[in-house]
Amino acid sequence: MPDIEIVENLKRDLGEKALELSNPGVRRIFLGVAPRDLLPAVTLLRDKYDCAYLATISGLDKGDSFELLYHFASPAVNINLRTEIPKSAPSIASICAVIPGAVLYERELQDMFGILVEGLPDPRPLVLPDDWPAGNYPLRKDWKFERPQEVIPGGKS
Amino acid sequence: MSFQIPIGPQHPALKEPISLRMTVEGEVITGVDIRLGYNHRGLEKLAEDRNWIQNIYLTERICGICSHSHATCYVQGVERLMELAPPRRGLYIRYLIAELERIHSHLLWLGVAGHEAGFDSFFMYTWRDREVVMDLLEMISGNRVHYAINTIGGVRRDLDAGQIAKIQEGIVTLRKRSEYYFYIGANEPSFVARIAGVGYLSKENAVALCAVGPVARASGVARDVRKDDPWAVYDEVDFEVATADSCDVLGRVVVRVKELLESYKICEQLLKSLPAGDIAVKAPRKAKPGEVVSRYEAPRGENIHYIKANGTDKPERLKVRAPTLANYPATVEMLRKGFIADIPLIFAAIDPCICCAERTVTLIAAGSGEESVVRMSDLRRRAIARHQNAPVKRNAVWPL
Repeated sequence: MPDIEIVENLKRDLGEKALELSNPGVRRIFLGVAPRDLLPAVTLLRDKYDCAYLATISGLDKGDSFELLYHFASPAVNINLRTEIPKSAPSIASICAVIPGAVLYERELQDMFGILVEGLPDPRPLVLPDDWPAGNYPLRKDWKFERPQEVIPGGKS
Repeated sequence: MSFQIPIGPQHPALKEPISLRMTVEGEVITGVDIRLGYNHRGLEKLAEDRNWIQNIYLTERICGICSHSHATCYVQGVERLMELAPPRRGLYIRYLIAELERIHSHLLWLGVAGHEAGFDSFFMYTWRDREVVMDLLEMISGNRVHYAINTIGGVRRDLDAGQIAKIQEGIVTLRKRSEYYFYIGANEPSFVARIAGVGYLSKENAVALCAVGPVARASGVARDVRKDDPWAVYDEVDFEVATADSCDVLGRVVVRVKELLESYKICEQLLKSLPAGDIAVKAPRKAKPGEVVSRYEAPRGENIHYIKANGTDKPERLKVRAPTLANYPATVEMLRKGFIADIPLIFAAIDPCICCAERTVTLIAAGSGEESVVRMSDLRRRAIARHQNAPVKRNAVWPL
């Protein structure tokens, strides 16, 4: 199915819900929805567009908000579902009920951006160590790494 | 009684730090927990303060086996952001290296699979032949691991006629050997008996858990970025997507050997129709604001980079997803209901001997911990009953 036809179908199926629909390159479609429409949109993509394969979830710190991009792929096209949540209340519903393979990517989002993923079956930290100080989210733009002063035990003071 | 066996994060059998926690009942694994992060280097954050050129070398160092695949994935995305059209000859050389890298990676994996199955001569044969392709890569790029051949707008080194002849010669040798491995891998009775039915992953689970690469293809999911989303040269060459439907380790061996044969085919076609001309164009220092999703079929599966530019000489965001991460949920599924002895095969790990502890006539009921003395005949009856509905080894397909 050519890209243009998929875009037309998406426009018809989602109607008002599609905030953004673009086709910037061959086999690349960007689709924007509001956070409350995320689960219905994911279910639609999985059932009707053969996009049961979630490649990954990218987070992006945009200053006042976080942008989440769910990269789906079917044999014909790569659909990137975009949604935006405010930084003051960073929370999003988990899509693990629809796509079970999303669990690691959602855990990574929680670690790296401090986004609360509601309904995640396994909410433990994924990549950060157990003694990581709370409230430090490395991929937020305002987070800077500062190497702690090295202290030699019993060395020169 | 269920036990927890920790494997890793530091363990002699693991090549890289990862922590696997197996919950076992007797010899059967009932639960698996994977903990990651021991090797997390904060690369995505690091990429935000490197410029476009520096990031090629950073992404190349994500992986030590498929170093070219991350660099290529990044570079092809940045080229699209900068609206560059690399010369055909540069592209052909870039994807020739990509296929040679796939060959070396698959030969390496075959050796590891043979070693873990206790078939060490297979390991030695495949690793000897891997030297052929490693020498070719060294001849082309000057390096054995980090080829550093990619640059934005093309490649950094050209091929001459002598090198082309040498690559063709090497491919002839490798094809002959790989056909022999294909025969061995699917026919050697003890090897097949060891790997058939182990690490079962059904097609439904492979789809639901978003498995990628040879793992997905061995479960009958024909997912290959080179075919689904052909970038640059892949729609100009003729090749098949290798699949198997046995859903086990045997299937994964077969898929990888078939892919080797397909890669030889691609290499030969690329060399035969190698266009003349330049190998690179000059790239601008900055990229216009924009975003791109770049996909690439690495030896282990789909590699995806999301790159966002903000108009400066540094990326706003570089998201990297390597194929192994996508396969972890599927690995948990494969290990569950397997034997402890299959852990090394499914996941290069150890073979601990805890089954010895179970050889007593005083049985401790799993779960409740109640002790009871049973007669030998009763024990035998239970053993037969247990083996009749053994949860693990599926009916192996015997190819002889």
